[in-house]
Amino acid sequence: MSAHYLAQQLINALSHGSILALLAIGYTMIYGILGLINFAHGEIFMIGAFACFGAVEFLEMSFPAGVFAAIAGSVLAGLLIERFVYRPCLKRKPEALTVFIASFGASLGLRNLFTMLFGDGRRPFPSAGFLEGIIVTESGLTVNVKDLWIFGVTVILVVGVSVFVKHTKAGIAMRAVAYDANAARLVGINGATAVLTAFLLASILAGVSAVAYGVSYGIVTPSMGYQIGLDAFIAAVLGGIGNVPGAAVAGYIIGLGEILFVALLPPGYSAARPTFVWALLFLILFLKPSGLFRPDMKNR
Amino acid sequence: MDMNKAMRSIAGLAALIGLLFLAETFLRGYYLRLVILFGVTSIVALGVTVINGYTNIFSLGFGGPMMAAGYASALLTLPPAYKSAVLHLPLWLEQMQVSFPVAMLCGGIFAMLSSVVLLLPAFRLRGQYFILASMGVTIVTGNLAENFRSFTHGDMGLRSIPAFTNIWWTYGILVAVIYCIHRLMESKYGRALAAISRDPELAGVMGIDIARYTMLSFAVGSFITGVGAVLWVHLVLTMNPKAFNLVYVFQIVAMLAIGGIGTISGALVGAGVLTFGAELLAPVQEGFTVMGLRIPPVFGLVNVLMAILLVLIMIYKPRGIMNGRELRMCRRKKGDP
Repeated sequence: MSAHYLAQQLINALSHGSILALLAIGYTMIYGILGLINFAHGEIFMIGAFACFGAVEFLEMSFPAGVFAAIAGSVLAGLLIERFVYRPCLKRKPEALTVFIASFGASLGLRNLFTMLFGDGRRPFPSAGFLEGIIVTESGLTVNVKDLWIFGVTVILVVGVSVFVKHTKAGIAMRAVAYDANAARLVGINGATAVLTAFLLASILAGVSAVAYGVSYGIVTPSMGYQIGLDAFIAAVLGGIGNVPGAAVAGYIIGLGEILFVALLPPGYSAARPTFVWALLFLILFLKPSGLFRPDMKNR
Repeated sequence: MDMNKAMRSIAGLAALIGLLFLAETFLRGYYLRLVILFGVTSIVALGVTVINGYTNIFSLGFGGPMMAAGYASALLTLPPAYKSAVLHLPLWLEQMQVSFPVAMLCGGIFAMLSSVVLLLPAFRLRGQYFILASMGVTIVTGNLAENFRSFTHGDMGLRSIPAFTNIWWTYGILVAVIYCIHRLMESKYGRALAAISRDPELAGVMGIDIARYTMLSFAVGSFITGVGAVLWVHLVLTMNPKAFNLVYVFQIVAMLAIGGIGTISGALVGAGVLTFGAELLAPVQEGFTVMGLRIPPVFGLVNVLMAILLVLIMIYKPRGIMNGRELRMCRRKKGDP
């Protein structure tokens, strides 16, 4: 195995890592602020992909408009789930298990709803001219133009969201609520607004991630959010819950790890990819039980 | 008083045996199977109640041990001819064919051992990290079962497993399990578990060995879920890596949440709601006519409705339908806990 081969795999991992990174930030923000594993996040992602698909295929919008449709679809789904599942559920101050089950119910319900409406088949995801093409470098590495786009957009978004969470008033309010909701309320921070901000940001990123997934793999299915959602949640835990840049970095680590696992081992082993991801998680949790980076929240 | 209680228990058992006899005589095919499936699901739900309901940890890892039990029992009871044709097993395992009770016992013990081995390292973790790790156990076991083809036949799964599970086995074991859990919870062991689940720190200060009791309840619960898995395998007659996957695990946990976690009645009510609920809703998705208006069939509607029901129960009945209460055959005296 040569350095050239490794570099090529690194490039191949760009888009998969980006998809995971964008999703992981969503998991980490919502877990940080509500203490809740938002299982429906994978479905918010899936709805974004369907919104883009519908807008481009049926409403005959342009691809950039489709990207905004994906974001709009994800945001709508995220806010509706917050309004009609989590808010009424959390209002009664239930046990953690109750919210957990409600979240799982929302996830299962949405996945089944889309399976019912659109069938379980794969649909081709739209693409645009500027995403096509392959660049070949002097040393013989091939780079897909779409992977560069996905990586570029992801880096901009990750930096943007990190700065937002760290330095703006709304972002600081969000972290305050995540750290201690009661103390935050005492100093006049509106907890409900902070929760909405978290859902809004998480859903926007999920929408972008959905477009990245569609462009990268070329398909949309109602169950597309399940496996990748789990992987992204693992990334969120690895990155230290609540830590936005940490989640992004962990997303790339998992994405790269998965690609390398498939690339380096004989083909017979590639079906064992989930085992590998979980083994990686167990290993890291065993060595560092709170994740790779510092969790940005109170220890729950 | 005690005589009275014993009489009631005997009367209750006699009534149950009568009902089962009627069910076996008059219910056929699909409906009889549904009744058996309810019994099997209840056993699994009760096992998970012991694991999750009576301790202060929450595990989604019971799918792994159930998978181990299911495959163990299938491999122990399949005819050697089938095994040699489909699988590549060590000779002693290929030749081995045991009776149902032995297979069931082996399945239970296998589930218990694998649960302890798989989850022992995870006890280092707390809170969401433990949930995540236990979820991983279920996913990884399924993934391993897909890849160890010589033992499991991969995705294709094992077929033509002998049909042993009938209404008598199922409900006999169910009654035994209910009795055991009931006795267990009234014992010193059960009191210690109750103390741990209320306030682990206080329990620790009182001198209760938390790790030991948690481990014990894990072992007992896993044994019960393992027996449930064996019954399930010999009812459904196929075993594949997706049999006890995360969706199955969530269904069981949802049953406990619907019925109310931590009680025997809660597990039974939850299992009943999810097993029969899907059946009652089935006509809805096949299309019907309301006041001359033809509603077209919508397949998959039942799953959506069940999910909505689940969310609604979590919102309006967060502690489940039974709300932590236990149904009793005789009312307790005032002052009893």
